[in-house]
Amino acid sequence: MHSETSQNLIAPGIHYLQGAEACAEGAMLAGCRVYAGYPITPATEIMEHFARRLPSMGGRTIQMEDEIASAGVLLGASWAGAKAMTATSSPGFSLMQEVISFGIMTETPMVVVDVQRPGPGQGYISTSQEDVMQARWGHHGEGAIIALSPASVQDMFAMTIRAFNLSERWRTPVLVMAEETVAHMRERLVIPDLDSIEIIDRKTPQDEGIAPQDYLPYGHGPVPPMAIWGQGYDVNHVSLVHHRDGRITGYNAETHFDNIDRIRRKIEDNVADISEVEARFMEDSRHFVICYGAVSRTAVEAVLEARQVHGIPVGYIRLKTLWPFPEARLRELVRDAEKIFVPEMNLGMMKHPITEALRDRCRMVAAVPSLGCLHTPEQILARIQEEAA
Amino acid sequence: MNEIGHPMLKYLKTEGPSGPRLPLILCPGCGAGQVLNYTLHAVDRLLAEDNLNKEDVVFISGVGCSSRLTSHYLQFDSGWTIHGRSLAIATGALLANPKLRIIVFTGDGDAAIGGNHFIHACRRNIDVTIICVNNGLYGMTGGQVAPTTDTGEKTATTPFGNVEDPFDLCKLAETAGAAYVARWSTAHPRQTVKTIIKGIRKKGTAFIEILSQCPVHKKTAPVEMFKALRRLTARVKEGAAVPDGRIAVGEFCNRDKPDWISRYQDIIDQENRHKDTECTGSI
Amino acid sequence: MYRFNLNPAYCKGCGICIAACPKKVIESTGRLDAKGHILPGGGDMSRCTGCRLCELVCPDFAVAIVEDEAAEEKNDVNPD
Repeated sequence: MHSETSQNLIAPGIHYLQGAEACAEGAMLAGCRVYAGYPITPATEIMEHFARRLPSMGGRTIQMEDEIASAGVLLGASWAGAKAMTATSSPGFSLMQEVISFGIMTETPMVVVDVQRPGPGQGYISTSQEDVMQARWGHHGEGAIIALSPASVQDMFAMTIRAFNLSERWRTPVLVMAEETVAHMRERLVIPDLDSIEIIDRKTPQDEGIAPQDYLPYGHGPVPPMAIWGQGYDVNHVSLVHHRDGRITGYNAETHFDNIDRIRRKIEDNVADISEVEARFMEDSRHFVICYGAVSRTAVEAVLEARQVHGIPVGYIRLKTLWPFPEARLRELVRDAEKIFVPEMNLGMMKHPITEALRDRCRMVAAVPSLGCLHTPEQILARIQEEAA
Repeated sequence: MNEIGHPMLKYLKTEGPSGPRLPLILCPGCGAGQVLNYTLHAVDRLLAEDNLNKEDVVFISGVGCSSRLTSHYLQFDSGWTIHGRSLAIATGALLANPKLRIIVFTGDGDAAIGGNHFIHACRRNIDVTIICVNNGLYGMTGGQVAPTTDTGEKTATTPFGNVEDPFDLCKLAETAGAAYVARWSTAHPRQTVKTIIKGIRKKGTAFIEILSQCPVHKKTAPVEMFKALRRLTARVKEGAAVPDGRIAVGEFCNRDKPDWISRYQDIIDQENRHKDTECTGSI
Repeated sequence: MYRFNLNPAYCKGCGICIAACPKKVIESTGRLDAKGHILPGGGDMSRCTGCRLCELVCPDFAVAIVEDEAAEEKNDVNPD
């Protein structure tokens, strides 16, 4: 979908960029042409990059009056046919929850980047993973969401593209749960040949040969084709529980369940397609480090040292997708474990679904917390040695 | 009964595969239904007279009785969204497709919770027509006090009388920068239709407040309230004082100023000047 | 000549059309329908000018003013 106006896309090759810039470039490559945001440390660089770059691609960047409005822009832009994104940090992420809930219910493709910082309250402007539960449960009500966890500048680029593709494929808001660490770090970024990058666009009723008079806005399958405003489909986006034809009166328990169960299962039934898990050193391991995001960078060093220097048989599992939670995949990977270590930049959050998933496979799951700063390899190694040597 | 129905029914979804959608869910005599009627009359005229393309017309609303107008009734693209956030959503839609002709239905309550977005939308002069159905209270939730409720009035949450003063939405819109600001009431049907036509035609933010009756929470018959609206309002010439106890109606402000999209288009053009291909800025 | 066409499925008996009519042609039928609404009806429609204000002010799209050509013809003056 690279049109004439995309001539200003980043060139393939080797670059040296900040994570924030890589995220923005990935989004633009994926086709994002509307960006709305509000300044907040440590996410502001993303908006500033979009402000400089988007006009040359025919896109528009707007700084809105608050984070609620920024997320609101994504809804309208998406319904009008554009791929749209915002980036914020933890306090702004809290503000956006109602809009995200609305996005889930209206099945709106949109990407929200949360560059996490510590909380609660103003917390601090350093790094954190304290919003990972909020990513799944912060929006009110049922429904499900997709949340990705980048660990490098390369990830900030590639996972942002993936976030757009997932949001278009599954008609859902997708979160990129970055941390200050990955947004601010500068690393080598390899941009492949642009034609090799898969870009997915939402299916419209026109794609499926459905005429306006036959169109059911919330029907035709588990992922309803999405009519775009301005194309004669008279589509109404609504977040009250609705029938498949969009009617909101005639409420009954069956309609309620039909509507809400479908949007949850749309994501949860497709974990295998959606989630990505990286696993290394699994064959002989008795213990495992399960990590995600920036912590993976130091956790892998700790695992390597534990194995190579201290002879401790510890494996490494990295959750590249936090939600939907890859319970089945984890159970495939970990048949029997003595100790599992979950280093997080919080006091123990993903530790809980991990424990629940492996409750019959593992004797002990230990949180390895670090607040406000990235673990060093030594911190994680010390815990491994303490429990597993 | 003869099958010829109301002329504006051609713009409404009276029923769908899952069942009937009309009658409107609103209470008997509610002014919001009248505002929908006036708006559809205005749009009907524009579709016939102007180059307005029906596919480009989009209605967006928030939450509240006035926002129910888009709920599942319209044969237009629409969004029945979240309380107070319609203008942010409208902004996004324009950024994606500036050709859309957006009409926002809001109420005094919805506009108040969305006050921040209201102020900034007017300041940016985004090209939308905001039709605000002002009944001086929060109707949908049972008649609570609103920022537009008169001082001293007893409502569900001010059972001893309102200790606050209301603000003037039209003055807010004008000060914030809206290009076109006007107020009428449901008892001014033809004036309202003409003003909505002007508002939609106007490039930039058009804010049109319509004083409206809520018979249920004011415990007054619709006809009494409808007649009273005429008595309570006064059309004044610029500079003239509003007669005591009356509310001014009419056009308050009509200025030419570029909207957000046109201003930003200059930047898009400038950044694309070196390219051969035309960059229309539509996604 | 005009006919006052009311859709009883939509009308809620608010009475605004009665109040708005400049010729005072529309009247209350005085009859309660199954939903508890007292519906309006066309009174002396010979005085209706077809201004369609009743259509405009109806909150429920229940009213239609229909030109009745047969009735119109009945009023025509015949040539001698």
